[in-house]
Amino acid sequence: MPDRFLAVEEARISFGEGDARVRALRGVSATFERGTLSLVMGPSGSGKTTLLSLLGCLLSPDEGTVFVDGVAVNELSASEKTVLRRKKISFVFQAFRLLHSLSAIDNVALGLEIRDGRRADQIVMARELLLQFGLGDKLNREPSGLSPGEKQRVAIARALAGNPPILLADEPTASLDAEAGRSICQILRSQVDKNGRTVVVVSHDPRWKEFADRTITLSDGQIKPQAQGQHA
Amino acid sequence: MKLAWQNIFHDRSRFLATVLGVSFAVFLIVFQGSLLVGFLQAASRFINASDFDIWITARGVQAFEFGATLEAREREMAAGVPGVVETGRACMAFAVYRKPNGKQQVVALVGADSNLGKRFPVPELAETTESRSPDAILYDASDRSLIEVASLPAEVEINGHRANIEHEIEGFGGFLGVPSLFTSYRNAARYLGVGPDDGMYVLLRVGKEYSVSDVQRNLRQRLPEVDVLTREEFAHKSRMYWVIKTGAGSAILTAAVLGFLIGLVVVSQTIYANTMENIEEYATLKALGASRVFVARIVLIQSLICGAAGSILGLLAVVPAMHYARSLIPWIHTPWWLPLIMVVLSLLMCSLASIASVRSALTVDPGRVFRA
Ligand SMILES: Nc1ncnc2c1ncn2[C@@H]1O[C@H](COP(=O)(O)OP(=O)(O)OP(=O)(O)O)[C@@H](O)[C@H]1O
Ligand SMILES: [Mg+2]
Repeated sequence: MPDRFLAVEEARISFGEGDARVRALRGVSATFERGTLSLVMGPSGSGKTTLLSLLGCLLSPDEGTVFVDGVAVNELSASEKTVLRRKKISFVFQAFRLLHSLSAIDNVALGLEIRDGRRADQIVMARELLLQFGLGDKLNREPSGLSPGEKQRVAIARALAGNPPILLADEPTASLDAEAGRSICQILRSQVDKNGRTVVVVSHDPRWKEFADRTITLSDGQIKPQAQGQHA
Repeated sequence: MKLAWQNIFHDRSRFLATVLGVSFAVFLIVFQGSLLVGFLQAASRFINASDFDIWITARGVQAFEFGATLEAREREMAAGVPGVVETGRACMAFAVYRKPNGKQQVVALVGADSNLGKRFPVPELAETTESRSPDAILYDASDRSLIEVASLPAEVEINGHRANIEHEIEGFGGFLGVPSLFTSYRNAARYLGVGPDDGMYVLLRVGKEYSVSDVQRNLRQRLPEVDVLTREEFAHKSRMYWVIKTGAGSAILTAAVLGFLIGLVVVSQTIYANTMENIEEYATLKALGASRVFVARIVLIQSLICGAAGSILGLLAVVPAMHYARSLIPWIHTPWWLPLIMVVLSLLMCSLASIASVRSALTVDPGRVFRA
């Protein structure tokens, strides 16, 4: 029996009504083990983002169960889900989603504030994280003054602020050139190896395969059997 | 809250538009409100300036400005009613005024007995030390340019009678569009050709030990041919006449109501638009685990900053505008509570508008964060 640290069981979800109804996930079961980097691949519209949203407690399945840190998420209220997300889960987006009016360091500090509340050492910790990702000279830049690769590194620093054990990334390298993309792959991999975080990456980008512990391939809302359990 | 301030600072041109919207609304409402309040006040100014409890008018008189004569008998009968301890008379009618330079001008002539009260503009004021003859004429400072007297006293004519303009007073500028002149009742009656014992308005003071409404009822029985109103009733009737029954007042009332509604719409629209502009970021905050309170606080603080800045700016603009307006519209009046109410109201409007937008910020589906 797996410890259900991060898992979905027989998850089904559909959007819309009648003719417009789309069955985004049609009975997906998967377990993401602690301290691994899993890659979710599949064609456009196959349900990758939907699966990530379930794992991130941003969506609830119509049927089936989602487990986060051993807790069945389905039974939680909206505010309990928010608390769970705050404590355990962080996101990295294709579009970075930095707050446009805040400098790099304030973006990271806000991530800390959300997770830990106001703290005196917020700025110090934010600076440390950014230094770690080679952004020491860009601390006070606003997002509009950063390159895409730098933006994504700030976004990862924000995601890691407050030390959440789970990191969910949707196409984190799709907006980046080859070099910047590779650096993001390395950063996320090192989060698994050095800090024991559990990372799930959704991507079309085959480069991720070399960094992933395993790959899940979705097709039309279901996991392709042959792809399951494959280890890099 | 740093994010709220940073959002404002970063998007200052957009927020400036919001602040200007709020200040425009505040300005509009204070200005229109001052017109309305001033108009209402001016419509019952003379009635409120008297100390007497009951006014007797010819049947159907709607406003102080449009009175009709009463017979001397009515006043004598009223004086005999138990509880009536003092009577006084007032009148108002239009007259032709000949300036010292020989030009003519229609004026509103107001005459009153000197016992009507300290606030009523009559020549013999109890508290003035200067000796004024009871037949002296007074005028309001706002009518100076139409009265055209070079120095005081000045010899003029009213309805062909010689008269002396002796003093300038303040606070009795009217909205009739013609200057007003004030003098004793006896003098005014002479100019207007009214019998010295006839009246236009008979005012009664009720003894302290009597109830005004009892005396009023008694008077109505004894004087069935005239209207017997308490001071408040006549003031109200006069205000309603000017505001509701004349087009002028209705226009001011409509403008004030419209100003209020437009202000409300402008403020709520700009605040709402501001929140919606950043709705994606609120979704991100929620996805990152921010609580509802956290998100609501940011939105509310931003709105309140706009509301406060807009109110201050609007009120700052009102001061010189009112100063200028007063030179054109002497009766415009900003009561002390109007700006205060407007500040509270604009903060309230901003909060309400932001609560509506907070709702969208809070109900935004955090799942959309993945849709680029
Ligand atoms: N909120 C929604 N409302 C309606 N339909 C939705 C919604 N979210 C997803 N879908 C539909 O569900 C299906 C799966 O969507 P999903 O975003 O999970 O695909 P994806 O694998 O991430 O695709 P892509 O690679 O293009 O990002 C699609 O057909 C999509 O149109
Ligand atoms: Mg997707």
